[in-house]
Amino acid sequence: MIAPRTHQPSQRRRVYVLAAVVPILALGVLVMPGRERLRAAGPANTGHEQLDCAQCHTAADGTVRQQVQANARHLIGLRASGAAFLHNPVENEDCTACHQNDDDRHPVYRFNEPRFAEVRATVAPQNCVSCHAEHTGRRVTAEATVCSNCHVDMEIREDPIEPSHAQLALREDWPSCLQCHDFHGNHVRDTPQRLDDAPSTAEVLRYLAGGPPIYGDQVRFPATTERVTQ
Amino acid sequence: MRRPGLILTALSLAVLGIYLFVTAPPALPEASAEPLGVVPIEQVLQTVAAENDIVRALYTAEIVTKGTEAGLLYDEDWRDEGVDAGPLPALFLREAARSLQANPLPVGLFLGSDFPISPANRFEGAQAEVFERIKQNREPEYFYAEDTGQYTAMFPDVAGVAGCVSCHNDHVDSPKTDWQLDDVMGAATWSYTKPAVSQAEYLRIVAAVRQSFRDAYARYVEKTSTFESQPELGERWPEQGFYLPSVDVFMEEFGRRASAATVERLLVEADSVAT
Repeated sequence: MIAPRTHQPSQRRRVYVLAAVVPILALGVLVMPGRERLRAAGPANTGHEQLDCAQCHTAADGTVRQQVQANARHLIGLRASGAAFLHNPVENEDCTACHQNDDDRHPVYRFNEPRFAEVRATVAPQNCVSCHAEHTGRRVTAEATVCSNCHVDMEIREDPIEPSHAQLALREDWPSCLQCHDFHGNHVRDTPQRLDDAPSTAEVLRYLAGGPPIYGDQVRFPATTERVTQ
Repeated sequence: MRRPGLILTALSLAVLGIYLFVTAPPALPEASAEPLGVVPIEQVLQTVAAENDIVRALYTAEIVTKGTEAGLLYDEDWRDEGVDAGPLPALFLREAARSLQANPLPVGLFLGSDFPISPANRFEGAQAEVFERIKQNREPEYFYAEDTGQYTAMFPDVAGVAGCVSCHNDHVDSPKTDWQLDDVMGAATWSYTKPAVSQAEYLRIVAAVRQSFRDAYARYVEKTSTFESQPELGERWPEQGFYLPSVDVFMEEFGRRASAATVERLLVEADSVAT
């Protein structure tokens, strides 16, 4: 008969101490200045590798205690609104603070128009992060077929391309949109007239995943490295 | 053993209560510290829509139509490098809308139609149904867009200048080529996030919209500095030749045409609020 395994009180104490100290040490390492990347939800997206967290995650108003109090009061109905805790939620303005494109072909605000209600419910294009979810290590997180959500009627009176837009839509070749068209129109380039002259579907998919540029290196409105407020 | 546990729990709750509810630090201000609104948003949107009609008419007739006669060009690709042109009227409005987005006030402005040159601007769904009513009644329509929380107004966009009709009829991508003067060619959609605003906020909205007109015209003026053949900027208008009014001169003329009616609206609304 095997005797039940028992721990001596001193052994048990050591286990408790370890169980308490290890998480505290790990937490200490995580909160140390310069270790912010360790706390990130995932790898930075393409081009964001060198950014400080605070460039997108701006500090919320007030002290932690004020924020906690505001939310506790809101919870029990003593206050109309809650308050952001530690950091403000990342919103479109945080993206456009660096990515200003005065001639954006698909500015997010346009999707707030009533006629886009259906597409707002499915892909929420009115939010930058719907297509560019951060901490994914990619350039774009939307599917390459995203154009099909809005561009239903592709009949163009004097279609200059071959194959025509209507033919491409008929065969549901939606990634082909991005082979010729730069979604935000920020690159200096001539739009190809033939699909054969455009980057391939595989190159488009690699580009969305964070791969090499396919629309050239010259941009009309370069992103700033510091936030710009208008 | 139970007694110390009870005391500890009571103490912890007391400390938590003090931390959470005793207002040692000043309380954070509420998200919206604006006084309660007294001016219905419909009236505010009517005012800015009326101002928009005036600036559109001014830009279309005095800049685009007369400018074309004087040798200036207006093109949908006006922003592209090497294109020595200014924005077409619909794109002027889009520039204004873009400027409004940069303003902290949540004013939305969009332009659409049932037969737009760009299919991306065609009304769909419920908005298309509202536009059908507008075409029949030629009156604005008001509704609440639930998913975005926007109080919305659609105003008829009437072909007031021959240039609107000829440009849309002749455009290679236009799905309709028999437009006539006085047709309802589309609708301008304005939106805001509150059902009513204070008078101070009302004034700020009007100021923001006027600033957006200034920004839109300023972008055109700025682009002319890249033209191979640059129009002279200053006091003179295209009616007098290859000239463009400066931004200040353009806005002064706009103010001359729009301000009396806007002030009248503001006074009537202030009076109705006071009584």
